[in-house]
Amino acid sequence: MKNRLKVLRAERNWTQAELAGALDVSRQTINAIETGKFDPSLPLAFRAARLFGLRIEEIFHDEDRSSLATEIK
Amino acid sequence: MNQLKTPENGYQSRICTSSLRLLAWSGAWLAATALMKFGPKFLWNRASVLTLLAVGLDVAVGVGMILANKTYIEQLDELQQKVYLNALGITAGVAVIVGVPFSVMGLYHVISFHAEIWHLLLLMGLTFMFSIAYGNWRYR
Repeated sequence: MKNRLKVLRAERNWTQAELAGALDVSRQTINAIETGKFDPSLPLAFRAARLFGLRIEEIFHDEDRSSLATEIK
Repeated sequence: MNQLKTPENGYQSRICTSSLRLLAWSGAWLAATALMKFGPKFLWNRASVLTLLAVGLDVAVGVGMILANKTYIEQLDELQQKVYLNALGITAGVAVIVGVPFSVMGLYHVISFHAEIWHLLLLMGLTFMFSIAYGNWRYR
């Protein structure tokens, strides 16, 4: 799963530690999500979406979605 | 720049508190186990009642340590829980896979020394520490 967390955070000049504090997780978790090493749970994704004022799919998107859409066509 | 609201009792603060609680319970369990192991020989000359009391104390403190560990895991965030639970799974697997053959080797004198439970506990402790370190390195 890919995400725009790093870009969205940078746009707001937030540090990883600040974002981690706001989402009530460790800084390591934010880093692992940003680098694509760890996929967040749905509740955490919802918290992030609420914090950024965006929909979940505007932050997180499935890497296989485009290839799946091509296969269906 | 938008200011972020951070909860007063934040994640780091909660983890620090529950880590200290777990450390205190682990230390108490270690002390209770040492009392149970060495007390009968060095402190009360093998008096059965006192030995039973020491066993009861050890079990009670052990239950406290398990509950503190449970609380600690619940306080962790989802990535840390994943790392911790993976480490517990690896440790349990290593304990079974190594423990049984080790015990058999001790039984049939394949190894020169007596297979003790402490050897297994030491192996479990080291496996757990390495697994936690590996998990943290993997998601660093």
